[in-house]
Amino acid sequence: MKTAVTLKVRSNPRYLSLIRDVTTRFCMSCGLDEELTGQIKLAVDEACSNVIKYAYHGDTSKVIVVKYGSSHKKISITIDDSGEKADPEKIRGRDLDDVRPGGLGLHFIRRVFDLVEFDTGKLKGNRLLLMKQTGGNNAL
Amino acid sequence: MHCDINDYKGNTVLSLSGEVDMHSSPMLREKLLSLIKNKPPLLIVNFRDVSYIDSSGIATFVEGLKHVKAYKGRLQFSELPQSIMDIFSFSKLDKVFEICGNLDDAVGR
Repeated sequence: MKTAVTLKVRSNPRYLSLIRDVTTRFCMSCGLDEELTGQIKLAVDEACSNVIKYAYHGDTSKVIVVKYGSSHKKISITIDDSGEKADPEKIRGRDLDDVRPGGLGLHFIRRVFDLVEFDTGKLKGNRLLLMKQTGGNNAL
Repeated sequence: MHCDINDYKGNTVLSLSGEVDMHSSPMLREKLLSLIKNKPPLLIVNFRDVSYIDSSGIATFVEGLKHVKAYKGRLQFSELPQSIMDIFSFSKLDKVFEICGNLDDAVGR
């Protein structure tokens, strides 16, 4: 799948709104409806927030790269960082019935994407692969 | 995000507007906890002009609710746009927070 859009931003929470805007525009250009676009926007925002919190530990001087691609009946988004390696085994959201602050972001990501996985081949940092079957022809 | 603090029929109302995310939720937390410090019997958060909320914003309200419950106060949400309501419902937090239609519904409970 070819990358249609690449966004490179500083790991500062102030730029999350920019990532949300681009994600929304990308989804709209793929013909996705408002509800699905909103869910994907939230999921990508949560994934990038996790990069800032857990991979970069709040360091705002680092870089996050978000790549958007689409092809027949699916869209893909990858999020790259150069921070601390995530341990997929240890990443799990809280039980939704266990009401306490935190632990919801992963649920928002898994709710909408059919594939959520880290690229184990990336040597330094993390690459999160997100893919959604959409049922329409989204090729850009 | 922007926060306004008003009085409505003798109750404190925190009216929010814009996007609540990882960038703005620390400011929201500061405002919310400073209001809770005064132990209002009923604190209403009006979401009418909120266009977006992420998990950090929700976590802020979960934290606030725990403080309010500790002194047996009430935290009510009013005028949630459907997109925000959907996020609370998916998180099963629509059963945890008191969610009202408008401000009159909130003060009338």
